[in-house]
Amino acid sequence: MSDTLPLVVAIDVGGTFTDVILVDGESGRRWITKTPSTPSDQSIGFFTGLAKVTGQANIDAALIRRVFHGSTVATNAILEGKGARTGMLVTDGFKYVLEIGRHDIPRKENLYTWIKPVRPVPPRRIREVPERVLLDGSIERSLDAVATCAAIEELKEMGVESVAVVFLHSYANAVNEKAAAALLAEHFPEAHVSISSDVLPVFREFERAMVTVLNAFIHPQVSRYIGGLSSGLKQRSIDAPLLIMKSNGGVFGPRQAANQAINMALSGPAAGVIGAGVVAKSSGHLNAITIDIGGTSADVSLIRSGQPAMTNESEIGPFPIQIPTIDIHTIGAGGGSVATVSDYGVLTVGPQSAGADPGPACYGKGGQHPTVTDANLVLGRIPEYLLGGEVELERDQAKRAIVKYVADPLGMDLYEAAAGILDIVNNNMVGALKVVSVEKGYDPGEFALIAFGGAGPMHASELSRQLGTKTVVIPALPGILCAVGLLATDLQYDYVRTCLQRAPEYDLELMRRVFGELSTLAQQGLNEEGVSEAQRRLDWLADVRYAKQGYEITVQFPTGDVNAETISLLVEDFHQRHEQLYTFCDREAAVEIVNLRIKATGIVDKLELSTVGSCNGTDAKSRFTREVYFSDRGFQTTPVYAREDLLAGHTLKGPAIVDQLDTTTVVFPREIARVDAQGAIFIEIDHE
Amino acid sequence: MNSPEKTLDPVTVELIKGALQSARSEMEALIDRTSMSPFIREKKDYFTAFFDRQGRLISGTRVPLAGNLIDCILEQYPQDDMRDGDLYIYNDPYWSKGAVSHLPDMVFVAPVFSRSELMGFAEAWGHLWDIGGLMPGSISPDATETFHEGILVPPTRIYRAGQFNEEVMRMFLRNSRFPEMVRGDLKAIMASCQLGKRRLEEIAERFGLAALNAVFEEMLEQTAFSLRTALSEKVPDGRYKFSDCLDGDGRNDQSYAVSLTLEKSGEDISLDFTESTNQATGAINFKMDKSVPANMLGMLLTGEDASVQMNAGFERALKSVKLRAGSIVDPVYPAAVGMRSHTMVRVTGSLLGVLGRASDGQVSAASPVYVLYYLRSHDRLRGSYELCIEGLGVGFGARTFADGIDAVYFVAQKNYPVEFAEMEFGVRIEAYRIHKDSGGPGAYRGGAGIIRDVRVLWDEAVLGLRLDNVKHPAWGIKGGHAGRAGRVIVNPGAKDERQLRPMSDQNQLSKGDLIRIMTGGGGGWGHPFDRPEASVRLDVLDGFISSESALTDYGVSLTQDLDIDVEATRTIRAGACCDGDMFNHGKGITSKEGLAS
Repeated sequence: MSDTLPLVVAIDVGGTFTDVILVDGESGRRWITKTPSTPSDQSIGFFTGLAKVTGQANIDAALIRRVFHGSTVATNAILEGKGARTGMLVTDGFKYVLEIGRHDIPRKENLYTWIKPVRPVPPRRIREVPERVLLDGSIERSLDAVATCAAIEELKEMGVESVAVVFLHSYANAVNEKAAAALLAEHFPEAHVSISSDVLPVFREFERAMVTVLNAFIHPQVSRYIGGLSSGLKQRSIDAPLLIMKSNGGVFGPRQAANQAINMALSGPAAGVIGAGVVAKSSGHLNAITIDIGGTSADVSLIRSGQPAMTNESEIGPFPIQIPTIDIHTIGAGGGSVATVSDYGVLTVGPQSAGADPGPACYGKGGQHPTVTDANLVLGRIPEYLLGGEVELERDQAKRAIVKYVADPLGMDLYEAAAGILDIVNNNMVGALKVVSVEKGYDPGEFALIAFGGAGPMHASELSRQLGTKTVVIPALPGILCAVGLLATDLQYDYVRTCLQRAPEYDLELMRRVFGELSTLAQQGLNEEGVSEAQRRLDWLADVRYAKQGYEITVQFPTGDVNAETISLLVEDFHQRHEQLYTFCDREAAVEIVNLRIKATGIVDKLELSTVGSCNGTDAKSRFTREVYFSDRGFQTTPVYAREDLLAGHTLKGPAIVDQLDTTTVVFPREIARVDAQGAIFIEIDHE
Repeated sequence: MNSPEKTLDPVTVELIKGALQSARSEMEALIDRTSMSPFIREKKDYFTAFFDRQGRLISGTRVPLAGNLIDCILEQYPQDDMRDGDLYIYNDPYWSKGAVSHLPDMVFVAPVFSRSELMGFAEAWGHLWDIGGLMPGSISPDATETFHEGILVPPTRIYRAGQFNEEVMRMFLRNSRFPEMVRGDLKAIMASCQLGKRRLEEIAERFGLAALNAVFEEMLEQTAFSLRTALSEKVPDGRYKFSDCLDGDGRNDQSYAVSLTLEKSGEDISLDFTESTNQATGAINFKMDKSVPANMLGMLLTGEDASVQMNAGFERALKSVKLRAGSIVDPVYPAAVGMRSHTMVRVTGSLLGVLGRASDGQVSAASPVYVLYYLRSHDRLRGSYELCIEGLGVGFGARTFADGIDAVYFVAQKNYPVEFAEMEFGVRIEAYRIHKDSGGPGAYRGGAGIIRDVRVLWDEAVLGLRLDNVKHPAWGIKGGHAGRAGRVIVNPGAKDERQLRPMSDQNQLSKGDLIRIMTGGGGGWGHPFDRPEASVRLDVLDGFISSESALTDYGVSLTQDLDIDVEATRTIRAGACCDGDMFNHGKGITSKEGLAS
């Protein structure tokens, strides 16, 4: 995969728009387009966008050498509960593993009003089969083939398309699960099969079962979708590899994507973080907190030394997903978040959103309730139109909504009320920003804040001031950073196995063997995608905890060997991470190794980001002025710049506004903004 | 009701509220990630809160049990004796007047200062694995005094101005059978408390002390307002009585009742528990802080509004709460209190009962109390213990708008994964199922309990059990039936099958015995004939109810292939008659029917 790359395309499907970016690696030219997403069949938007961009560039699509793709097909299937009719085989006695779950309700919920979420597979489609593996991996009872075949027949009769197999302790020995998979292949070949020892060979049966079931649940749809894309590309004579975004920040090919569809479940915001990582590197801010603010939600993440923070404990909707993903914290706060005042006079903003339809009151599409966008409009922060004039905004509607639903009930002035709405939504977002930084032991003062998405650049300075970051970075293309991120991804696969080791008796031989087996799997995976030797990298990792703790910290395993020295380096690294994350460490306590992991990377050649011209000592020229409200100062006559007029080296003194097609950057009074060679805007934050 | 005159900027109120909430999540995350005992780390038996300088709860986890946790510390240590860097601990239910209600719950409190002025408290508590007492795990149905339930710690200063009191810690740990585990948990909770303290300092720094105090007062008033409003909408003026019963303390056949009279006249609402049964010899006594019923009412009635904080404002909505010393909800020292949750859940039941009477049944049906078993083994020659404690979920009462929750413990507490329990405790779990037909039939079905089969692998073991609501299953309401009871069987189906008393200790077991614990379900809401036929059929297919129950309780006749027999069903359902009673208490099972061991 190290040939030169004349033409590369990235297509990212979002909730409203499908963003497309086409880059000519030789000339450095790029073409960008947006087309409405087509939720019922995302491939329609995919090919429309592809045709649009190749038309714009006036090139022959057949010359495209690589196609990157970010899709929400898997995510939507789970969130909407619209996956395949799925069946399940479980160990005798454990049919209710999904229903019972962890017998809790979420900590923030009220016991008396909470309603249990509907599981992807109901008990009537789960069959128990006699088999039992013990804790140490020994087989107490082999799989009962006769009973299993009968169960398979029943699932078949129920019209099941996909089957998950989850047996107890299969992470320690997968023989019985594999035997069940073999029987399924023989007697029910048309069904897709997911076995838990493949999907997530890690202890804790409910969490493992949930990931396996969700993988089975979305598989048919995802594989049909990917099949459709592959053949559609072929029809257009595009013989380039299709690389699909994963939740872990890497990409994988169509075959692996179809079998491990669950790895796409949280991929939407992941591409944005990778895109922010590109900006972080080019701007020299290798430590950055990222925030992507859209219409209904804000996605927050952290980049350290240029690498996104990872987690093994995510959730999708109400379900846990314990696979490696970029650590992204999402809250219901965005441009469409609705401001409400309770009977008592409590002002809250979000998580309800006006969405795209009817949208904020200022869209004039029947939205009655005031939103964050309405507040930004009333305060003059954003222009009275969207998308360069394609959509008009109605300032009077925004005012009316804020007066009626916020200012009057609270006895406040219109502008104070609008500023209050922004204060509250900003506070909510700062809470999220702290979750990924302060709560993980990182001092925001040592990080830059990279803000993107349609609503990111107008809130960034305020967020930065409250959080304590010193610099805000607004990327050149904040509205399509996900598509930019796609271009910067590598092939990435994670392999994990539970291998419980209690100090001081570490079984070095066993650990060496497990790493050996994981390496073999990793090399096979890279072989399948045709990654050359030179482009491969394997990282060894271990999940470590103090004996008796319930959560592990993932720590890099120092070198490619397991010996007393590497173990002691690992343990020391763990103590330090524990102290950073949790304020203390305990060098007297025994340290336990729980899971071993390998992260396999197939490095994909990167394109250089294009640059903007230099200002050569000239000043930036504003196009006009606008009255913009700033707390404590009231309305100020503020120069408005067009983003495309800004060149490298330009400096703007706040207050200033920078408008571009799909977002607006607000530079507050007393702030200084400057533009770098890639066209990114840097705002220095005055913390007084 | 009009909203009161306000001088405070509502934006600041929301900003501070949000900051307190995120600080609490941070404190909880720290405990979650670093604690060591299964109780705290897997089961999540810990809670956090912030209090103002007078010790009033401002923002806490949504559990009804954490009202006035600071008062007893202030009685021992006056405010002007407190220093920045102090940390106080206690677990004494009597000196704290029920602020903490049983001994394993250790409370940690850090006073918080802003520019050397005391401004509030950060607090966290967790259930410790073992603090001594009669039996490993410190809770036993055989306990009859707090002295049987472990070491009693009055309010004690464990940090003085940042200086750790090693001696107190050593003395405390010396009283535990599992000192290492307890030490790990103490470290985690103390770190969490100190983190909370720093966060509150930062909040004070950002907003200023005056604003913060004003906002605290405002948050209390918001909470009080929400409960007052809900009560005025739900409860017409009048006097309402209800008694909710628990099976007993396991020592004899006597039942106990939590008897409540609610009296409402305009905004004056008083609760009177004085007619409740006298205190028990066994460990079911509940030393109830007076904030508890107010907090429960708050959780029951203001649940839909996520902006309502759990705080001392709920108490303001009540004029008085009357208790009688020597009763089951106000026991006299040193009555044993280890299993006070049995009585606490009946306090909730009595509140639901009076609300049901006041609102013509527009409340949830009752829920049984959660179940625990304590499996222990003591190697006397090696001086070592094995201890397996598992909390098991039950079915919750059906709501006026939805089925009861199946298999839930209490708030945010989790079960042990089977793979974890086998790894940690050396038992084998052979089944974990839904307890069919345990949910009370109703238009909305009561939640179903569970069945857990546990194989003993140690040479010998002693089993303690606490399972209530057998004689008195969780009642149904408005035509809904009561939930069905749970039970415990050893070696089901074998020749030596035997049933154990549901509240008992010292059950001797040996290697290879199988313990089957079946937990009870919640009461139903509304007449079961009003449940849609298709839902009844799906419940049968999913194993929540049997075909027999579908027919006899729900009036839905199913064919051999489990399709609905439309004709037969129509005939049966047409014959529905209402028995007129608001509450259905079920039949229950008495000891004469085979429960005596």
